[in-house]
Amino acid sequence: MIKIQVASVDSLIIYFADVISKENSLKVKSAYKCLKALNNKAFIEIIPSYTSILITYDIFLYDFYSLRNMLTKILDNLPIEKESSQNLIKIDVYYSLEVGLDLQRVALHSNLSIDEVIKLHSSKIYDVYAIGFLPGFAYLASVDEKIKTPRLKTPRKKIPKGSVAIADSQTAVYPKESPGGWNILGRTAFNFFDKDLEALSPISIESKIKFNPICKEEFLSQGGII
Amino acid sequence: MSGFEVLKAGAFTLIEDFGRFSYMNLGVTNSGFMDEYAALTAHKLLDNNFDENLLEIAFAGLKLKALGETTISVTGAKCHFKINEVEKNIWQTYKIKKGDLIQIDKILEGQRVYLAVKNGFKIKKELGSSSVTIKENLGGVEGRQVKNQDFLPYEEFKQFVSKRLKKEYIPKYEKEVKLRVILSYQEGDFSEEEKDKFFNSTYTITPDFNRMACKLKGEKIKADIDGIISEGIAFGAIQIPKDGEPIILLKERQTIGGYPKIGSVLSIDCFKLAQMKTNQKVTFESIDILKAQKKVKLFYSALL
Repeated sequence: MIKIQVASVDSLIIYFADVISKENSLKVKSAYKCLKALNNKAFIEIIPSYTSILITYDIFLYDFYSLRNMLTKILDNLPIEKESSQNLIKIDVYYSLEVGLDLQRVALHSNLSIDEVIKLHSSKIYDVYAIGFLPGFAYLASVDEKIKTPRLKTPRKKIPKGSVAIADSQTAVYPKESPGGWNILGRTAFNFFDKDLEALSPISIESKIKFNPICKEEFLSQGGII
Repeated sequence: MSGFEVLKAGAFTLIEDFGRFSYMNLGVTNSGFMDEYAALTAHKLLDNNFDENLLEIAFAGLKLKALGETTISVTGAKCHFKINEVEKNIWQTYKIKKGDLIQIDKILEGQRVYLAVKNGFKIKKELGSSSVTIKENLGGVEGRQVKNQDFLPYEEFKQFVSKRLKKEYIPKYEKEVKLRVILSYQEGDFSEEEKDKFFNSTYTITPDFNRMACKLKGEKIKADIDGIISEGIAFGAIQIPKDGEPIILLKERQTIGGYPKIGSVLSIDCFKLAQMKTNQKVTFESIDILKAQKKVKLFYSALL
């Protein structure tokens, strides 16, 4: 059963579940796909997250109750779509102490060698659970239990663009220089958000991500900056 | 192409329009006019499209030189507004000739002045909007605030229609404002006692007040939960962080977040908040969703 509640005068929020899990994320993704396919011009924003979708809508076209009824009919027994492996994106990462400012910290915390940390981080296929915080900042999960590491106590004022980082069981890439408190393992030249690209971002919540370790020369040849 | 030469940009002058929509799913915020009442009125006086761009001037010290004929309107905060050193009233249109100097010198009441030009400034839109969001480096002039020596292009416009807003529609910017709140989101995770506290307290605006959010100081409110699974944030949402003091999220809010929210301030009341300053006061009162939707529809029906 989904729950649909008021969020603001012109927004409502649909809850699909109350815990983070892969299955619940698939529910959100199926509903998100279905909502986008409606092409309803009353929908101003559709923001999917781990277990919910926020919709901002045109109140001249729907009031809260009429839209809630409409959405309940469509979404309440929506079948969950199977995952598609077509959306796999490989992202080259230069993992090293030089750019992985917290590689040592994560290794110590996990009681593993640096190479083992890199291997565990780059061998999983991650799902995109949400995008937000910054344009193109994708929350990816789940990081291998063995290298789960809490956020830094004091966030850094500046994290370089392209930094690949982990926080607890999540991992992400900083799409541009910004403050942040995640543990940085490496850096990528892959662009997560570019306003000059037609697609803006190669990543959507339907994507799957795998990191691929590369050497410094290759990183530099891809336009990476140290 | 004609335009304004920016002789002095003022401390925080931005190009804004109605906002950037349908990209929040990628993490891109809406941005746009902080005070839609003043901004839309500026456009209405000029008979511009409602989503045209204009200048949002948060601190005085702006000086522009016109390189060609146009009509302008100035609305919003009460200020010293001059054309060629002659003091003028705001909330009306003025004919501007080549060589005219336009100044916004001192803000007396309110916080944001809006200066619109007939048919807007001819600058490139990014993702469907020319609103600048500095932290995203999007919109405006090169994704930044307006600075000295910038050129703000507009098409020459020679006809002139004198229009003035009726006195009764000119807002008074008070030092204490009541904000209507739709209880929503995690309101069920706040006890009746906590809600009573929230609705019966007077809060002070802290210096942590910008286009992203307004942090308040006052009676601490406690939720029964520590945090929530991150979810989409609506305009006007009221976060209650761990310190218990409310944060109202505004035009440049982040798209998702994990603090419990007690409800959302009515959008049209956020426009009033946009004209307030540090140390001024706000109180909250509850409004139900259908009444709120009716009020907001009336607001736009009158302006668009």
